Amino acid sequence: MGLGFTIGFIGVLILFHAAYSTIQYRTLLKITEEEFSGSPLIVVIELTLGLLLCTWAALNVPGKFLCILPDSDENRIVSLPGNLDFMIFNHRGKIFPVEMNERLRH
Amino acid sequence: MVTKTEESELKNLEIQVDNGGGGAWEYLSLVRKLKVRRSDKVLKHGLSILNDSKLRSKLGADEWTLYEQVAVAAMDCQCLDVAQDCTKALRKRFSESKRVGRLEAMLLEAKGSWEKAEKAYSSLLEDNPLDQIIHKRRVAMAKAQGNISGAIEWLNKYLEIFMADHDAWRELAEIYSSLQMYKQAAFCYEEVILAQPTVPLYHLAYADVLYTLGGLENVQTAKKYYASTIDLTGGKNTRALFGICLCTSAIAQLTKGKNKEDKEGSQLQSLAAKALERDYKQRAPDKLPQLTTALKSLTLSS
Repeated sequence: MGLGFTIGFIGVLILFHAAYSTIQYRTLLKITEEEFSGSPLIVVIELTLGLLLCTWAALNVPGKFLCILPDSDENRIVSLPGNLDFMIFNHRGKIFPVEMNERLRH
Repeated sequence: MVTKTEESELKNLEIQVDNGGGGAWEYLSLVRKLKVRRSDKVLKHGLSILNDSKLRSKLGADEWTLYEQVAVAAMDCQCLDVAQDCTKALRKRFSESKRVGRLEAMLLEAKGSWEKAEKAYSSLLEDNPLDQIIHKRRVAMAKAQGNISGAIEWLNKYLEIFMADHDAWRELAEIYSSLQMYKQAAFCYEEVILAQPTVPLYHLAYADVLYTLGGLENVQTAKKYYASTIDLTGGKNTRALFGICLCTSAIAQLTKGKNKEDKEGSQLQSLAAKALERDYKQRAPDKLPQLTTALKSLTLSS
């Protein structure tokens, strides 16, 4: 988790640096009165690198992804909750008493 | 609804606690959350926590919930003296509590003194006429005494006031099914499905009741609900697959003289049959020949 956070932080810093470089490049072009067709190649590479690092961090920091399908092996309903509000006490289990020699002691 | 992960967690905790390795409080909380009925284990481990004063003081305010849980478990296991002690301890702590009053009336019920319990419930209802749990206990008491028609009457009166209680509708459906009053049971299952449409087990039960009722319309609707069960369970429910095959052959028998419209009926049946055969080949290959002969006789008789 710490590694994910650091890498995400570095990715965000790289993105900010790329944005700053692009703005600087644009001001330079304004001085020389040329048109701004696109960022220089190295800034684009820096941008892709930042994107990859941030995506990797975003996938790893939140932790284990859970399945959302209702019929997947973890989420499928195995049994209904027993209707405990309607529970009755004179069932056939009365014949098999629990071997409970303990009492509530105090 | 108990999902597979929750059930495996419960089983692991149970094994852990049974073999003496801690975690009893987590086990008891999980049992309380999932509303499963494990009264013997709850009684054993709950009592061991309550008798150990160190563990008891660690629980803080939760110990009274544990008292209640152990009292109900003791009543279920017929250890009425343990239940009496727990209830007395609760009454000492909360002397003016309706919840403890309910527990005491449940204890009378477990002892078998039905009239005293009935009187206790009526007096509790006078103070609080809209207490759902007491109404439900009255139904349970009627059921325990064997007075099923009385239980149905009480339950119907309860459902006129509290129409949204899907547990009560489910209980009524099960009572009607046990009395073979399938039309009323079908109505109750419809209410349950309305309340919880994503639980495939209710669709399955409804389809079973409709198929038992018989008649062309009911069997066609049953087929639809078996299909929705297969949809919700991703095709893994064997009973629903069998249901589709039986419904298709029953429909074909019922419409024998009339116009023959096969369309997607036979396609659904052949798909279900194939899925069944694949399932059996994987899980019970020695029963596969019986299955194939049974399915062949279904398609032949239609």
